[in-house]
Amino acid sequence: MAGTLIPGETAPEVDRYLHTDRLPHIWCPGCGIGTVLGAFLRAALALDLQKDKTVVVTGIGCSSRAAGYLDFNTVHAIHGRALAFATGIKMAHPEFTVVVLTGDGDGAAIGGNHLIHACRRNIDLTCLLFNNSTYGMTGGQLSPMMDMGEHASTAPYGHTERSFDLCGLAQAAGATYVARATSHGVGRLERLIKDGISHRGFSFVEAVAQCPTEFGKRNRPRDPAAMLEDLRRKSVSVKQAEKMSAEDLEGKIVTGLFHRDTETAEFSSSYQSLLESVRDGQ
Amino acid sequence: MELWHHSHILREKVDRNSLLVQGNRACALGALDAGVRFFAGYPITPSSEIMETMAHELPKIGGVFLQMEDEIASICACIGASLTGEMALTATSGPGFSLMQEALGYAIMVEAPLVVVDVMRAGPSTGRPTTPSQGDVLQARWGTHGDHPAIVLAASNVVDMYRLTMAAVHFAQRFRTPVTLLADEVVGHMRESFSPELVGRYRLTSGDFELDEGFLHPSMVREVHPPHTLGKGQDPHVTGLIHDSTGFPTNDPEESERFLRDLYDKVVNHRDELCLYDLVNEDKGRACVVAYGSCARSARAAASAAQEQGLQVEVLHLYTLFPLPVEIIQRVARRVEFMLIPELNLGQYAREVRKFAENWTTVISMGKIDGNLISPDEILERISQLLGKYESV
Repeated sequence: MAGTLIPGETAPEVDRYLHTDRLPHIWCPGCGIGTVLGAFLRAALALDLQKDKTVVVTGIGCSSRAAGYLDFNTVHAIHGRALAFATGIKMAHPEFTVVVLTGDGDGAAIGGNHLIHACRRNIDLTCLLFNNSTYGMTGGQLSPMMDMGEHASTAPYGHTERSFDLCGLAQAAGATYVARATSHGVGRLERLIKDGISHRGFSFVEAVAQCPTEFGKRNRPRDPAAMLEDLRRKSVSVKQAEKMSAEDLEGKIVTGLFHRDTETAEFSSSYQSLLESVRDGQ
Repeated sequence: MELWHHSHILREKVDRNSLLVQGNRACALGALDAGVRFFAGYPITPSSEIMETMAHELPKIGGVFLQMEDEIASICACIGASLTGEMALTATSGPGFSLMQEALGYAIMVEAPLVVVDVMRAGPSTGRPTTPSQGDVLQARWGTHGDHPAIVLAASNVVDMYRLTMAAVHFAQRFRTPVTLLADEVVGHMRESFSPELVGRYRLTSGDFELDEGFLHPSMVREVHPPHTLGKGQDPHVTGLIHDSTGFPTNDPEESERFLRDLYDKVVNHRDELCLYDLVNEDKGRACVVAYGSCARSARAAASAAQEQGLQVEVLHLYTLFPLPVEIIQRVARRVEFMLIPELNLGQYAREVRKFAENWTTVISMGKIDGNLISPDEILERISQLLGKYESV
C-alpha cells in the first residue's frame, strides 16, 4: 500500500510497531486511547523510528497498558514514575529516542513532581499524556483533571475541586515544546506528536480523550460519538484563544502548539558537555 | 591484585597522602572500582557523602551522576539505567529507604541489577539523623510488599564499606536483583586506615572472596526469564506485572506460581555463595555472639577480652544478613549453650535467628536503642553473667 497516509486512517504499515499477537487490546469500545495511540504510531512511522533505539516508558493506568502492545523497547514501570525511569534510561543512553506515555492521574497526580522536574531539566524526552479526566483502570475515581461538578466513583455528589492547565504548568516549569490536541482532532494530534518527538528538548503533548465507560457512565454526554462531538465543540485554537476573554474560554479546550523553544540547552547534551570539560580539565 | 592498578582507593591514598578514609567515601570508591557508572540519589544524613563523592568522581570517568528531585525518582532512574546495562547504585538512609520500597519490588520483579546503600540512622520517622542504628534490618528484608527474596549485606568498618560494596555489585549482577548494603551511621562516618593489603587479608568464608577482572560481567545464575537489556536488539517488554518467560503479563495460576517461586529460589538456593561471614574462635566456646555492623566489632573486642579472662567465646560475624545463613547458624547453635545477639534495635535479627536456632540453643537478644553504640564491655559483662548462670556440667 504505497502512497501518502491519510491522517486519521491507521495503515497496516504501523503493524511493524505493534505486537499484533497481543491484540485485541483491553480498551473499551469507544475509548479514545486507541485513537491517540494510532496518532502516535503514524507519527512514529512518519519519523521512521528505529525499534531498537526507541524506548517507550509507561506508568500505570489504561493508557499505560499501551506498553504491552507496542513493539519497541518497552518499560511498563510503576504508577507515576515513568518520567523518572525515562530520565535514567536517557542519561545512560542519550542516543535513544525515549517516549513516555502517561495518563492524567499517573502523570499529573502521583507523577506531578517528576513532570515538573523533567520539564525543568528540559531533558530530551517526549511525554504524551492521555487526559480522559478519570482513573479508568481502577473503576472511575476522580482525577485532578476533572472539572467541578463532574461525577466520579469517589465524587458521588459532584467534584468540588478545579482541574488545572497542564500545558501552562509544563511551560512554566521549563518544557520547550508544549502542545495539546484531542482524540477528535487526530490530524493535528499526529502532527504535534511527530514534531514533539523530533524536537530536541522536553516535549509535552496533552491528548484529551474520551472515556465513555468509567467517566461516561457518571457524566454527560456518555455516548462516545457524542463525547467526541463535545471535544470538537469545545476546542478552540491557540490563535482563537488569544482573542477570547477568560469568561469565553471557560469550559473550552485550547488546542495547538503553545510553545516551542529550540535555544534552551537540553539536559543530556549539557551533561555530555560537562563530561568533556571535566575530562579536558584533568 | 591487578585491580589495584587503576583503583580509586589506591589513588586516594597516594594523592591525598593520607591513611584515613571515611566509610561513606570508601563505599563510593568501592562502587567505582566495581564498575558502577550511574548514580542517582537524594541528600540525606548520614549518607550524603557517598553521593558527594560520586558527584566528584563519576564525571571524571564519563559516568552519569544525577541528584534527582526525591528518593523515588532516584531509585527509578537507577532502575532505568540498569535496564540499559549500566551498573547503578544509590545511597540513602531510613526515611529515603522507606520511599524506595515500591521501586525495589519492581527491580526484584524485573530482575534489574542494582545496589542500594542504607546508612542507618535512628528511626522511626525523622528519628535522630546523626546517631547510629540497626533499625532497618527487617525492612531491608521485607520492606516492599509481596513475597520476594532479598540479598542484604552489613558493613562493620571502612574496609567493609569498600569491599562489601564491591560484593554487592557482584551479587547484583550475578543474581540480577537489587542488593541492599546496610551500614550503621557510625560506620559511614568513621575514618580508618585503608590499604589494599587490609582488603586482601580480610578473609571471608565460602572461599576467599575474590573479585577477578571479569566481575563486571559475571556468569549469571539461572534466570526466571531471559535477560532483557534495552537497546540490544531484543526489543524486550519489561513489566512489574507477574509475567512468564516471554516477559509479558500472565494470569495463569501455574505460570504465576512458578515465576514467583523461581524468583525466590534464585536467591535462597545460592546461600552457600551469598552468605558471607567470619567465625572467630570456632568450636572453642560455650557461647557465641552473633553480630553484624558496629556491634560485630564490639563483639570481637569482647571475645578477645574474654579470652584474657580465660573465657572462650565464639563470634559469628555476619556480613550477609539475608538470605538468612541458616546452615552456619544451626551448625553453631548445635554446640553452644547460648547465642547472644547484640543489636542497635529491639531485637529484629535475634527474632530471625531464634526461629532457626531455638531447637538447640537459647537465643538471647541484647537490644539498644538510645543512640549509643554497644560497647565491648557491655557485651563482655552480659556474656559473663550468662556463662555464670549456665554452669558447665
